[in-house]
Amino acid sequence: MRRHARRRGLALWLGALAAYAFLYLPLLIVVAYSFNDSRLNAEWVGFTWHWYDVLVHDREMLAAAGNSILIATAASLAATVLGTMAGLAMHRYGMKVLTFMVITPVAMPEILLGVSLLLFFIQVLNLTLGMISVILAHITFSIGFVAIVVRTSLGGLDDHMFEAARDLGASPWKTFRYITLPLILPAVIAGALMAFTLSLDDFVITFFTAGVGVTTLPLRIYSMIKIAVTPEVNAVSTLLLLLTLTIMMAASRIAPNALHWRT
Amino acid sequence: MRALLLSLLLLNCNARAEDVLHLYNWNNYISDETVARFEKQCGCRVDQDYYSDNEEMLAKLAAGAKGYDIIVPTGNALESLIRQHALRPLDKSRLPNLKNINPAYLNTPFDPGNRYSVPYAYTLTLIGYNAEELQQLGLPTDTWAVIFDPGYLEKVKGRVTVLDSPRELMAAALKYLGYSANDTDETHWRQARDVIVRAKPYWAAFNASSYIKELTVGNIWLVHGYSNDIFQANLDARKAGRNFHIAASIPKEGAVLSLDSMVLHKSGPRPDLALKFINFMLEGRNSAELTNLIGSGNPNMDALQYIEPEIAHNPSIFPDAKTLARLEMLHDLDRNQRRVLSRVWTEIKLY
Amino acid sequence: MSRKAFIYLRTARRAKRLAAEATVQKWVVSGPPLLFLLVFFAAPGLIMVLASFRYPGEFGGLAPLYSSDPKVLHGLALETYGFFFSDFIYTEIFIKSFLVALATTLICLTLAYPLALLIARSEKKKRDLMVLLVVLPFASSFLVRIYAWMILLGPQAALSRTLSGILQLLGLAPVHLLFSPFAVLVALVYVHLPFMVLPLYTNLEKHDPALLDAAQDLGASAWQRFWRVTFPLSLPGVFSGSALVFIPVLGMFAIPELLGGTGDILIGNLIKEQFLVTRDWPFGSTLSIMLTLSVLACAWFAAKLGSRSRHHA
Repeated sequence: MRRHARRRGLALWLGALAAYAFLYLPLLIVVAYSFNDSRLNAEWVGFTWHWYDVLVHDREMLAAAGNSILIATAASLAATVLGTMAGLAMHRYGMKVLTFMVITPVAMPEILLGVSLLLFFIQVLNLTLGMISVILAHITFSIGFVAIVVRTSLGGLDDHMFEAARDLGASPWKTFRYITLPLILPAVIAGALMAFTLSLDDFVITFFTAGVGVTTLPLRIYSMIKIAVTPEVNAVSTLLLLLTLTIMMAASRIAPNALHWRT
Repeated sequence: MRALLLSLLLLNCNARAEDVLHLYNWNNYISDETVARFEKQCGCRVDQDYYSDNEEMLAKLAAGAKGYDIIVPTGNALESLIRQHALRPLDKSRLPNLKNINPAYLNTPFDPGNRYSVPYAYTLTLIGYNAEELQQLGLPTDTWAVIFDPGYLEKVKGRVTVLDSPRELMAAALKYLGYSANDTDETHWRQARDVIVRAKPYWAAFNASSYIKELTVGNIWLVHGYSNDIFQANLDARKAGRNFHIAASIPKEGAVLSLDSMVLHKSGPRPDLALKFINFMLEGRNSAELTNLIGSGNPNMDALQYIEPEIAHNPSIFPDAKTLARLEMLHDLDRNQRRVLSRVWTEIKLY
Repeated sequence: MSRKAFIYLRTARRAKRLAAEATVQKWVVSGPPLLFLLVFFAAPGLIMVLASFRYPGEFGGLAPLYSSDPKVLHGLALETYGFFFSDFIYTEIFIKSFLVALATTLICLTLAYPLALLIARSEKKKRDLMVLLVVLPFASSFLVRIYAWMILLGPQAALSRTLSGILQLLGLAPVHLLFSPFAVLVALVYVHLPFMVLPLYTNLEKHDPALLDAAQDLGASAWQRFWRVTFPLSLPGVFSGSALVFIPVLGMFAIPELLGGTGDILIGNLIKEQFLVTRDWPFGSTLSIMLTLSVLACAWFAAKLGSRSRHHA
C-alpha cells in the first residue's frame, strides 16, 4: 500500500517539476541572454555587461522607466485607498453593485477596458491622452485586486471585535484607525504592492490610453520587439523582472494569505 | 515628499520656458546631425516623437494627440489633414528657400498651390531582390508578376516578403492587374484580393520592418518594399562582405510614389520655430543629409550637389521623367471605402 | 406620557439615529470607490454601447450625434451591426477565437491539475512556498513572457534547430515554430497557467482526506478514487479556473500579433485594428460589444455549471 502511494507520489512530483520548469525556463533564458555577447538570441558566445551599458545610456528607455515608476506609484496609492474602502464596504455591507463593478475589471478581457476608456477620454472628457489618462486607467483595474485582498483579510477577522469597540464608545473612524486598520494593514500593504506591480507591468490598457509622448517600459519593449530586437530588450526585461519579483516576495512575506481566493 | 513633488513641478515649468519645437516624424527620417545643427542655429531644442506609418499618426491625432508643431505626412494623409482643417496655412514670406524645390513635386492634387505643405522627401514602393539569386533562377525583375504569379513564385517559395500595409499591397496588386493604384471599384478590389490570396502561400511573411535584415542576411531573395530600405539593405550587404548585391527595380506596370511633406499642425505652440525649421530643411545641404543617410528621394534641386553620386544616379531613388510618369501617388479613402478595405484586408489575412 | 412609552420612544429614536449613522457610514466608505468606478468603468462601457450605434467620422473617430448641417452624417443607426453580419468572416473570427480559448483552457487544465493536486497534498509549510513559486512568473511583465517565447521558438534557437534536424533526417521539410498557431497556443497557455492553478488549488486544499480513505477502504483503485471522488468535488474550482482562462484569452491580441502568422488573427486583433489603424470607431465598438456579450454568456454559463456541480457534490 505504501509503495503504491510512493510511486503515485513520484509521478505527481515529476509532473509538478515539469510544470515548474515550463514556468521558469523561458524567463531564465531571457535573463541568461541579457549577458550574451551576441546580437542574436541564439547561442551563447560570451559574458558581457554591454547590453546593460547600452540600457543605462538609452535616454528614451530611462524616460520610459521614469514614467512607469511615476504612474505605478500614483496609481497604486490611489487604488489602495479606494480599494481598501471598497473591500471594507463589500465585507460589511454586501453591496452587489459595488462588488460587480470592483470585480469585473479584474476578470474581463483587458482590451475592452482599454478601448472603452479610450472612447470615454476622447469623446466625453476631451482629455488629451497622456500621463493622467494612464493613471486613471490603472487605478480602475487595480482597485479590484486591492479590494479582494482586503476583503479576504477582513473575512478572517472576528467581527465581534468591532461591535465591542462600538459598545465601548469608539466612533467609526476611531474603530477603523485603531482596530481595523492595524489588523488588515498587512493585506493593505500587500494589495498596494500588487497594484504597483500590476501597473508597472501593464501593457494592453496602457497601449490604448497612453497616446503619444507617454511611454512606459512595457510599451517601449513592445516597440523594440516590433522594430528591432536586440539583447537590450533582454537587459531591461531582466531588470523589470528583478524589480517585480522583489516586490512580490515582499508582498507575500507581509501577507501570506493574500493569494487565497474565495471560489 | 512634498519637496520631491515641488521640484518635479519646477522641472516641468523650466522645460516649457525654453524654446522647444515639437516634431512628429517617421522613424529614422531625419539625421541626428541635422537636428543638432538646427538646435544650434535657432538656439532652441527639438523634441521628437515617432510613428511608423501614416495610419498610426492619423489614428493618434484622431485620438486627441496635441501639441505638435510639425508633422511629416504622406500625400493621402496630407489630404485627410487638410480636409479636416487641422493645418495652419504657410506664411511663404518666411520660406525664401522654397524656390529650391523641383516644380515637378509642387502643386500636387492634395495641396494645390502648396498652401499647407512643403515637400520633404519621397520614396518609391518597388521590387527589391537578390540580384545573383534571381539571375540564377532566370526570373524577370521588371514586373509585379514575379511577386504575384504562382508560375514564378514556385521557384522562390518561402523567399519572398511583401509589405504589411493594406494600401501598398492592394496598390501593387491593382497595378499588376492593370488598374490604377487609386481604383476604388469593389469588383477590382475583390480581384486584387484573389490575386493576393493566390500568391500568399508562396510568401514567407507580410513584413514592414525586419525584411531589410532578412535581405541582407540572404534569407529572403525578393521583397515588395520601400526604395530607401532596399538601398540600405544593399549597403549593409556590401559592408558585411556578402557575395551578392541587392538591386531594386520599378516594375513596368507602375508603382506608388510616396511624397512626404512638412506641415504645421494647428495645435502646435510655436509656428514661428516651425517655419524656421522648414526653411532650414529647404537648404540643399540640410536636405541632402537625409538622402545620404538613408537613400530617400529628394525633391530639392539645390540638394543634388551635396548628394553622393552613387545615390544621385540611382534610377530607383531618382527616377527620370519618363519613369515618373508611371508612378502614382495614393489618394485618401472615404469612410465607407476604408471600412470595405478593412474587410478585404481581413479576408486577405484569414484566407 | 407613561414612563414605558417614553423609554420606548427614546430607544426608537436612538435606533433611528444609529440606523441613520450606519447609512452615512455605509455611503462614506463605499461612496468614493463606487463613484470612481461609475465614472471610469460604467460610463465608458455605456459610451461604448452608444458608439456602436453611431456612424464613423469622415476622417476617423465618431460622427457627431447632432448636426445642423444636413450634409454631415449624424445620429444613430444599426449600420455597424449590419456590417458585422453582412459577411461571415467576422462571425468566423469569433468562432475561431472561441475555439482557441477552449483549446487553451483544456490544455491549461491538463497541465495545472497535477500541479494543483501536488500542492494541495503537500505539507502546509511547503504549500505557501509552492504557491508563491507558481505566482512569481505572473509578476513579470506580460510582454517579457511573450518575448521569452519568441526567443525559445525562434529559428536560431536550440529547439527549432533540433526539431528541424530530426525532420531533415526523416526527409521532411523543416518546420517553422515561430509565427504559427502552435506558438500562439503555447504562449497563451504559458501566460494563463497560474490563473488555472490557483482556483484549483484553493478548492483541492479543502478536500477532506477522509473521503479518499473511505473510498480506498471500499476497494476503489487510485484512478477510480480520482475520477469518482476528487474530480467531481473539484468541479467548482475547475469552472472558476476555466472562466479565468477562457475569458481573458477571448480578448487577447498581443500574442497573436507578435507570435502568430498572418492568418492567426483573433477578435482582439480586429478590435485593435479598428481603433488604431482603420479609425473606424463605431465598428470597433460593435466588435467590442459582441465580445462583451460573448464574455457575459460564458460567465453566466460557467456560473450555472458551477452552482449545479455544487448541488450535486
